[in-house]
Amino acid sequence: MIALIRSAMCDFMPATQRLPGVADTGVTEFLETMKRESGRLYWLGLVMGAWVYSITPFMTVFVPLPAFVLPASLRDRHAQRIVGSRFYLIRQAVFLVRLSAGLCWGRDARVREQLGLGAYPLDPGTYRTT
Amino acid sequence: MTHLAFQPAGPKVELEADYVVVGSGAGGATAAVTLARGGAHVVLIEAGPWRDPEDYPSSMYGTMRDMFEDFGATIAQGRAFWPVVQGALVGGSTVINSAIAVQTPADVFARWQAEHGVGGGLRDAMWAIQEELTRELNAEEVPPHARGRSNDYAMAASQKLGIEGHYMRRYVRGCEGNGQCLQGCKANRKQSLNVTFVPELRERGGIVLSCAPVDRVVLEREVAVGVTGMFVKPVTRERGAEYFVRAKRGVLIAASVTHSPLVLKRSGLRSRAIGQFFRSHPGAPIIGVYDEPIDMNRGATQGWASLGYREKPGFKLETLSLPLDMLAGRLAGGGAQLMERLADYRHFAVWVQACRAESVGKVEAGPFGNPVVKYTLDRADMERFREGLVLVARMHFAQGARAVLPGIHGVPYSLSRDQLSTLENAPLEPRAYVAVLSHLFGGCVMGRDPKTSVCDERGKVHGVSGLYIADASAIPTNLGVNPQHTIMALSRLWSRQILAAA
Repeated sequence: MIALIRSAMCDFMPATQRLPGVADTGVTEFLETMKRESGRLYWLGLVMGAWVYSITPFMTVFVPLPAFVLPASLRDRHAQRIVGSRFYLIRQAVFLVRLSAGLCWGRDARVREQLGLGAYPLDPGTYRTT
Repeated sequence: MTHLAFQPAGPKVELEADYVVVGSGAGGATAAVTLARGGAHVVLIEAGPWRDPEDYPSSMYGTMRDMFEDFGATIAQGRAFWPVVQGALVGGSTVINSAIAVQTPADVFARWQAEHGVGGGLRDAMWAIQEELTRELNAEEVPPHARGRSNDYAMAASQKLGIEGHYMRRYVRGCEGNGQCLQGCKANRKQSLNVTFVPELRERGGIVLSCAPVDRVVLEREVAVGVTGMFVKPVTRERGAEYFVRAKRGVLIAASVTHSPLVLKRSGLRSRAIGQFFRSHPGAPIIGVYDEPIDMNRGATQGWASLGYREKPGFKLETLSLPLDMLAGRLAGGGAQLMERLADYRHFAVWVQACRAESVGKVEAGPFGNPVVKYTLDRADMERFREGLVLVARMHFAQGARAVLPGIHGVPYSLSRDQLSTLENAPLEPRAYVAVLSHLFGGCVMGRDPKTSVCDERGKVHGVSGLYIADASAIPTNLGVNPQHTIMALSRLWSRQILAAA
């Protein structure tokens, strides 16, 4: 399942000449952590979003194949068009995939450096225990 | 022992106090410290953990994990699905908001009285308390060095267009302008209640239970005698020990607009008014794209606002710096196109309209016991919602933006000044917008009639002794201004009345 989500996220945020893509920002480890730490509703929504993204190229690029087997140019076109789908539920489903990709990508030190932003310190994840 | 965090499964934890306060946000923490200052022994119970500034995350992922309720997955369901943002830790949403202090407008009290038969006489007492709070928590205008270009540009734009606008007054001591209000102020300048009232409560002998969601209020012959619940570990959700806290004098519910109604329902209260009259300020941004860098991550996250349109047509305008990791997922587009757009991040200024929506929804329990908000904006609200966005776009252009990004389905990604009519004719369909509900009201509203309200104008729950509401769930209308100041004043007023009546 993580591979499916990763594939969709990488399509939404590919590397360009100016910026690293989400694939360059430790996305697999990010998703493994997110699976452990996010709520079940969030994770369920993310899985559903990845499925919706994967099975809808027939609606956007008119190819009856899952997104992850398409060539890069068609995947890019699918990623562009699916976010503007006329069907609200489809837009909402893939929104969560895009949001998660942004959370992973936007915290990466190299990405932030390229955009003139300081690196984030590690999130401590701590709280008072006494 | 004045703080009990997660307790592993084992013997039941039993405590006793004069008052038990459920929830440690603006309402709960204020109530708890007010009761403690009056000499009462108080136990304050919070579902989430207690995080100090050194525990705060930096990334939005960490913020959603550590500070947002249910990883930010609480969604208002209606015509559109819009997220409901609430803090879930000691201090509640005061840790993740901008600590904006706005006096409750006079017309709000008149409206409470006219529509719900109560509250008209609260104005002077609440305003006096708000003055106290202003001094205690140091409400100050955003200082010049902490404004940043986005806030300064908004002020300049409002002056050019003749729109009322001001730098915000916030509960902050010496803002450094780090632009991280949403993630909690690591510089410890924001006077959120986890670093102010809750520590004071401990100093006054109060006890804080964290990681301890309340299950129900224990009622004996229509008298509230305590609360039960179970410790739950953050993130892993490991279930720990059960607890019971006996309340000798009363139980105050301040668990938030989404949770207070559910606590009452789980406790066996049958009033049909529970969960009703949900209202909010749905907000959405217009991003201005400027030739020069704006660097909205520098300066106060929210430093400028306009209340000039609060009464008519009914919206307020604010600045809001969105971190890169949050904006990346919200910007329209996908693939290489999205990445090209994100390259302009430093040139973005995000300004928002928050609609004083009159539409009414309700709060119910979902299939997993989680809160579910049913809420849809009607056409009149959508018209004022859109009008607010148009005004924000005009401000950007007045300030020299080369384009605005509306983020509305069916509207082009980018609009130039001469394309504003496209925005003026944008769809009124809620599904076309990606909005957020950040100011919530209702669910346990005050009123004269027990058939249509949950508590009276002193916060006492109808038909039950010793049970009170002390948060925004009691507020029966929306305010049109940021609510923290109002929630805290109402909570303090009612807590003093409870002490006086004891």
